[in-house]
Amino acid sequence: MEKLLEILKSVRDDVDFENETKLIDDEILDSFDIVSIVGELCDAYDITITVDDMEPENFNSASAILALVERLIDEM
Amino acid sequence: MPFTSFRFFFFLAAVIFVYYIVPKRFQWAVLLAASYAFYLYSGIDNVFFIVGTTLFTYLSALLMQSMRNKNQKKIDALGDGLTVEKKREMKKAVAKKIHTVQVLTVLVNLATLASLKYLNLFIGSANDMFTLFRWDASIPFVNLIVPLGLSYYTFNSIGYLIDIGRGKYPAEKHLGKFALFVSFFPSVVQGPLNRFGDVGVQLKEPHKLEYDNLKNGALLILWGLFKKLVIADRVSAIAGTIFAPGFTDYNGSQILFGVLAYSFQIYGDFSGGTDITRGAAQMMGINLPMNFERPFFSTSLGDFWKRWHMSLGAWMREYVFYPVMLCRPVSNLSKKMRKKHGSYAGKMVPSVAAPMVVFFLIGIWHGITSQYIVNGLYNATLISASVAMVPVYNKLIEKLHINTETFSYKLFQIFRTTVLLFISRIIVKAPSLKDAGLMIKAMFTSIDLDFLFGLDGKIYKYGVNEKEMGIVVFSILILLVVGILQENGVKIRETLAKQNIFFRWALVLLLIAFILIFGVYGPNYNASDFIYGRF
Repeated sequence: MEKLLEILKSVRDDVDFENETKLIDDEILDSFDIVSIVGELCDAYDITITVDDMEPENFNSASAILALVERLIDEM
Repeated sequence: MPFTSFRFFFFLAAVIFVYYIVPKRFQWAVLLAASYAFYLYSGIDNVFFIVGTTLFTYLSALLMQSMRNKNQKKIDALGDGLTVEKKREMKKAVAKKIHTVQVLTVLVNLATLASLKYLNLFIGSANDMFTLFRWDASIPFVNLIVPLGLSYYTFNSIGYLIDIGRGKYPAEKHLGKFALFVSFFPSVVQGPLNRFGDVGVQLKEPHKLEYDNLKNGALLILWGLFKKLVIADRVSAIAGTIFAPGFTDYNGSQILFGVLAYSFQIYGDFSGGTDITRGAAQMMGINLPMNFERPFFSTSLGDFWKRWHMSLGAWMREYVFYPVMLCRPVSNLSKKMRKKHGSYAGKMVPSVAAPMVVFFLIGIWHGITSQYIVNGLYNATLISASVAMVPVYNKLIEKLHINTETFSYKLFQIFRTTVLLFISRIIVKAPSLKDAGLMIKAMFTSIDLDFLFGLDGKIYKYGVNEKEMGIVVFSILILLVVGILQENGVKIRETLAKQNIFFRWALVLLLIAFILIFGVYGPNYNASDFIYGRF
């Protein structure tokens, strides 16, 4: 989780990723942020995030993003 | 049947009446019949195209679904005999095939859209080329009628095909219910663009008669009529005069006045039309997506595109922006850039590539003319630049000790965005690109305040006289006050519902009287057509 939070902070350091649970629903992150985050995640974890994974529920909170990353690592 | 005509409201009232008295399981059928009646009213030739798109999309989605189901059955039948890897491999193989079907069927839909909308334009360009090279050839123009709501129902169908291809939800088996999703009459003319997973599902469900839905829907319709008939149709004469071909007497104040009037016209027209659409649907218990969220208060161009024609923005984000950003060449390039030059450079690749593609498409969606394309590129460039300039801005703000949390800073942002939008509007509305250039230049060079504030009276020579201007200014003030209240989280209809019954009804009757007295009714009491019905 710490590694993930570090990555998220590197994209947007003004967002409280530890506590926010509606990053997408409340429009805290915009589509450019999402794509940057996806890029960073793909590099850091060596995974491929596809269009099919671009669901709000996968990006609404840090723990949701972590769950997505873990699922994709498992599927490798 | 224009949404502002009495005919439409009789039709709507009749549909709503039948809709609520039939057994609930037939409600969808009432809406389908009404939608086709509405559609046929616009011309019998038109109907073949929407039927064709409906059938083609319906069958293509079922084909993709059956490919997926068959594969799943195969996997289930083999059960434990399969390793996890093998199962994954089988799923991947069929996903690839489904993807091919998805791409092909989307292309067929796009090709239909392009040929119906742009064929004569292509033929014209080809003929120009022939003349240029002095070839003795010419292709005859085709007598094509662009079917009502072509862009909207095609985009809805494409979205559906992509969703089914991605396996977001199972394909609709019932042809009638799917046909209703494609043709639902309130939104077929000028959107909003709907998603099957949301609106398609609502259309299938039974709906109880609820007073709140009727009341809130009717109020939204009234508000839409106010924006369209009182504001948009009244100021339309101004932009009509100032942006007319041959009008060369460019003076900065006139241009500013024209573009300001045009901004209110297009907002009143499009958002008013959407309010009527959403209100009509709400009266039947169906919630259509929002299309506008007070775009006049946008603090950046990016923010504007989140508030203006939101359903098209959402469509583009889902089906163009993310696929472009996450496609292999773009993501590989941005990966390389990130490794070589850091995360800022990595971010720049998608921030340049995606807006270019999205706004180019939005441009040609409006029409294949150099003006729409230039306007698309103008918006894309500014949005990419705003992402690129973030570090510069941050430094500047820090150095100049600007407090970005203040009202004055927000006002500055709104002003800046408005100027950028005015330029965008002129690019599209001017008679030609060259004229647009001249107008934009004039707007920044000669401003005459006496003219703008109506002190010399010249402002009343563009089709809106002094008395009418009073109505316009008063109406726009109402629009602004309501906008400011909503920006601050006030829900107008909910607040109104809490008021004393006399006050409530007095206000509603006043609005009705205002629309009836001050609304503009064109020849034969038909308001002018909606601008976005053309796209």
